[in-house]
Amino acid sequence: MRVPIRSGRAEVGFNMTPMIDVVFLLIIFFLVSSHLARQESRLQLPLPLAQSGVETVYDERPRVTVNVLDDGKILLAGRHVSVDELLQRLNHEVSRMGQELELRIRADRDVPYRFVGPVMFAAARAGVWQVNFAVIRSRDR
Amino acid sequence: MRRPSYVFQRASTLGVVMTPMIDVVFLLLVFFVWTASFQVVEYSLPSSLFAASGTGSEVEVDPELEDLDRVVIRIAWQDARPVWMINERSVASLSDVRNTLSGIAAIQSDVPVVLDASPNVPLGHVIDVYDIARLESFSKVQFAVTERP
Repeated sequence: MRVPIRSGRAEVGFNMTPMIDVVFLLIIFFLVSSHLARQESRLQLPLPLAQSGVETVYDERPRVTVNVLDDGKILLAGRHVSVDELLQRLNHEVSRMGQELELRIRADRDVPYRFVGPVMFAAARAGVWQVNFAVIRSRDR
Repeated sequence: MRRPSYVFQRASTLGVVMTPMIDVVFLLLVFFVWTASFQVVEYSLPSSLFAASGTGSEVEVDPELEDLDRVVIRIAWQDARPVWMINERSVASLSDVRNTLSGIAAIQSDVPVVLDASPNVPLGHVIDVYDIARLESFSKVQFAVTERP
């Protein structure tokens, strides 16, 4: 009796569509979550205009970012602080990271200078001499 | 009796549908282009500090351009507009500030420039002068600051 030979390979079907759907959903999830996380750490402020600004280099140099709002309030790590608290924090960071600490001031362009001056004075008292102002590029001057 | 052979003569093909993959890539491109257009690029203005020792600093400055010891730019705020003074000389506009600094820089670009702004001056106007000083290639531009607001 002749028996059919089932030695042939069975066809392997590989449906890509569900895999693409899962990848797509994962990508959307990570994009949205990273976008929201970035908004929390980067406060929207009308920064001063300047032409001679250099590109911000996000390297391993220790940096403290301070936001100064138009009403003079100082934000450090999302929290309102006074000048004395800022000085304490800078002293702590300098003792931890040394003199290479850099202070980045993101201030509203309309904030009176009397609110920004003490921030820089606190930086000088703490021994932070690298102070950068965050600006946006203006077209001409 | 002849029976059909189940030995497949041809290899099975793995069909990959490219259309959904192209759609995903296209959506990603649109998303990144759209979000990038709304993000303003921030730049940095490096600076150094000069702490004022008292309420009024007495700066002895030779008015002659050839013997400049220090350039002090005072910025005041009058009638909701900035008023500039370079070494106690009144300057009418920001462009005049730039012209004056350009003349000084042509002679001596390593002279220290000190920005002394009044408390009510908006920071944007202080940065304007600082920006001009940097554009005129002054190597030492400093801010005069006080401890308290």
